[in-house]
Amino acid sequence: MAYLINPEDQDLLDSVREFCEKEIKEQCKEYDVSGEWPAEIYKKAAELGYNGLEVPEEYGGLGLERITVAALMEEFAKADAGFVTTITASNLALKAVLIGGNEEQKQHCCDLLMEGNHGAFCLTEPMAGSDAGNSKTTAVREGDEYVLNGRKCFITNGGVASFYVVTAMTDKSQGVKGMSAFLVEAGTPGLSTGNHENKMGIRTSNTCDVVFEDCRIPASALMGAEGEGYKIAMKTLDMSRTWVGCGAVGIAQRAIDEAVAYGKQRITFGKPILKNQGLQFMIADMEIRVETARQMVAHALKLMDAGLPYSRESAIAKCYAGDIAVQNALDAIQILGGYGYSREYPVEKLLRDAKIFQIYEGTNQIQRMVIGKSVIGKF
Amino acid sequence: MQNHGILVYMECADGQPVKAGLEALNAAQRLAAQQGGKPVAAVLLDSADAAAEVGAYGAAEILSAQVGGYQAECYAAALTELCQRYEADCLLMGSTRDGKELAARVAARLGAGCVTDANGLSEQGWVRSVYGGSLLETVAVEGTAVVTVRSGSFGKPEREEGRTASVQEETVAIPEVRAVIRDTVKELAEMVNLEDAEVIVAGGRGMGSAENFAMVKELADLLGGVVGASRPAIEEGWVPRNHQVGQSGKIVAPKLYIACGISGAMQHVSGMSGSGYIVAINKDEDAPIFDVADVGIVGNVNEILPLMIEEVKARKS
Amino acid sequence: MELLVCIKQVPDDSVTVTLDPATGGPQLKDITPVVNAFDTYALEMATRFKEANGGSVTVVTIGDEAALTPSLRSCLSVGAEHAYVVTEPAAVSALGKSYLLGKAAGKLAEGPFDVIFCGCESTDTADGQAGVQLAEQLGLPVITNVLELEPKDGGISAKQETEEGYRVVEAPCPCVVTVTKPAYEPRYPSIKSKMAARKMPIGTLSAADAGAEEARVAAAPAKRVVLAAPPQRQSGVKIQEKEAAESVRRAMEMLAGQKLI
Repeated sequence: MAYLINPEDQDLLDSVREFCEKEIKEQCKEYDVSGEWPAEIYKKAAELGYNGLEVPEEYGGLGLERITVAALMEEFAKADAGFVTTITASNLALKAVLIGGNEEQKQHCCDLLMEGNHGAFCLTEPMAGSDAGNSKTTAVREGDEYVLNGRKCFITNGGVASFYVVTAMTDKSQGVKGMSAFLVEAGTPGLSTGNHENKMGIRTSNTCDVVFEDCRIPASALMGAEGEGYKIAMKTLDMSRTWVGCGAVGIAQRAIDEAVAYGKQRITFGKPILKNQGLQFMIADMEIRVETARQMVAHALKLMDAGLPYSRESAIAKCYAGDIAVQNALDAIQILGGYGYSREYPVEKLLRDAKIFQIYEGTNQIQRMVIGKSVIGKF
Repeated sequence: MQNHGILVYMECADGQPVKAGLEALNAAQRLAAQQGGKPVAAVLLDSADAAAEVGAYGAAEILSAQVGGYQAECYAAALTELCQRYEADCLLMGSTRDGKELAARVAARLGAGCVTDANGLSEQGWVRSVYGGSLLETVAVEGTAVVTVRSGSFGKPEREEGRTASVQEETVAIPEVRAVIRDTVKELAEMVNLEDAEVIVAGGRGMGSAENFAMVKELADLLGGVVGASRPAIEEGWVPRNHQVGQSGKIVAPKLYIACGISGAMQHVSGMSGSGYIVAINKDEDAPIFDVADVGIVGNVNEILPLMIEEVKARKS
Repeated sequence: MELLVCIKQVPDDSVTVTLDPATGGPQLKDITPVVNAFDTYALEMATRFKEANGGSVTVVTIGDEAALTPSLRSCLSVGAEHAYVVTEPAAVSALGKSYLLGKAAGKLAEGPFDVIFCGCESTDTADGQAGVQLAEQLGLPVITNVLELEPKDGGISAKQETEEGYRVVEAPCPCVVTVTKPAYEPRYPSIKSKMAARKMPIGTLSAADAGAEEARVAAAPAKRVVLAAPPQRQSGVKIQEKEAAESVRRAMEMLAGQKLI
């Protein structure tokens, strides 16, 4: 079953679902082919407040419960995983600011999202993916300024964001403890973006290099203290992983929806294919996976609500949901047979979209390391 | 003053009765027959020129009044006054936009029962579509009835050359007009006669673009037919709205109807299911249009139509 | 200007309604009630008019308060500031309902209204009478099938859809307009407006509160006596060959066989 949300919020779910049905689902097929960023759709969504769902009430947000936001995010993901990626990535950047920023920075970024802008979280580098501590980007203090130099890659919203959370080394000799985080405004001289990646899936999200060439930012752009960047980034990812899991659940659910709709109508040997127990079992397995993943997302959110540790659960939610999104997409393709493999039908896109959920915001191998270590502990 | 029984407001354009008006006359004659041969009088407003033509179509009498050009308030006042003057049991007119407005106005003024978009007449009353054509309701009217007749439902009455009707000049009070028509703009240049077409080739959302929709026109031209469309194609702007077939368009019954890229929503199907022979082309093998089609071709309409056009050309030559 | 929009809740028109053999009425049990599409256009037009020219938008409907609350809340989330239900089960006909709406309009705190908006028809019964009859019973001018609307000389100027194009029609206020599908779509509610609408009051009044005469409310000179399913057409042959050309060839053979080409 869906997330157990406050009944009063059902109307939000209904209106988001309507928007997704009428404005995202079909339209994104075309953008999936072209790889163009659907600015018009994002503009409409921004006007409706979809960028600011996670902004806390004390910073001008709507005070939505996390579980309600999850239900809405699942709708976005069901309609188009690239869309939910864009929204989630903005909120990833916001989380970093809420975790590591000062009051002024927090309010500023909350305002930007409430006004319908996007944010980008810039951690990954060509030689620093899973190994984020191997960052080559540097920030050198010069008077009241820092000078940033380096190249970030695979940055979601890189070309469309209004603000960037950027990690850079302030003291290379300290390793990860020499990494700091900065809040950089779009349009700052020295900040440029590279080409939009031609991706396998989530093609309606913008992904590109973000390049810093003698990019001068005020010293006040530092988030927290020097040397706290890695910690801020890791805490941010801990929290964000649950939301990545939430998106993956949406893809996995869409796979079921498409498989069931098709399987009820498709006749072979004189009866709908879903009359075959073999296929019923496939649907059951898909459902078991999606429901388990969804409840893991819900559980991690519940821990956040309760102020309890959630790193392990967040990693489990992300890892499992990412894996089962791929599996459900594969099964949906199998159930649709030849049509499943055809681009005329919507399920092959689900597989291309799902794959990234095993990769971004910490590969599933990294998640397993996190989970494994948390169970085994130091010995 | 005599009771004229049934009045028909004969909407005219350029001095000629419009088809919807003639269908209303036919419906009136059916009603008259059902009710034991009541006389049927046609009302002409600012259209005395059309009297001969309306007579040829069989109106027993014509009431003609000058109202000073179309203003809905004046026409409604004139029709109300004539209904009262002749104690009409029923006032009929065609279901044009103006007809429906006038009917509702006159009914409110008379306190009469109003039935819009009637597409049939049974012993029990007027039949009309509800719920987007999913169901048919029969409406019985107590007392005076004001009825608009759905175009394409009753057909035109027989025209007999030389048949005439006596014309009675009427004087009616003309009210001061409040909602004033300042300008009338004709945007749709061509007349589209879907109701009389023997062949209709219609396109829907599945055509995908205005360029592709041109193939619908090409096939229609080759077959000597008329272009039809479902609502999505109209809303996309691929074809003007006077080509629309369905609940909010025309009810049609050609000998051959070719539905291209039309899924077959009830809204559309209820407007074309009276066709003699239906061919449907749709890539979705479960599209409801196939439920009413005599021949259904499952396939991409933009692949099928060019082949069909070639076939027709080949057979013609 | 003060604007009133009359709305009707109808079964979702994207769902095919079937006959309920038990009651002889429509089977509506599992169909989501929605605001009539043309009324949503009317509300959007009124809201745009308000945004451009000032004033406020009030919505009113007739029926059961609890059943109508979601629809009214949805109107409140896309432009309406005030909402009312006239709780009157006896009003069934277009004539009775429009009489009652007219009476109620005169009692609402936000009135008197300069422009009353109605959808040009409802997607369920499609009578297309209520707006016109409301105007007639209030003695107001009405412009039907409106596509665009702007204020002019203290009144309004409207673009009215016709069979062949459009007319420009002007009327003094107060007046009634019935709205057809304009060139734009109704807006979506934002998360914020949706949440705000939950807290907005919905007023109720009865026919007696509205000062309406019982007999006129209940008047129904035209009544449904039979509801039936339309005759079903039999489906014929479905052709799905590997090659499109073969499908076309087979179809053309059949048409030729029927002497249709």
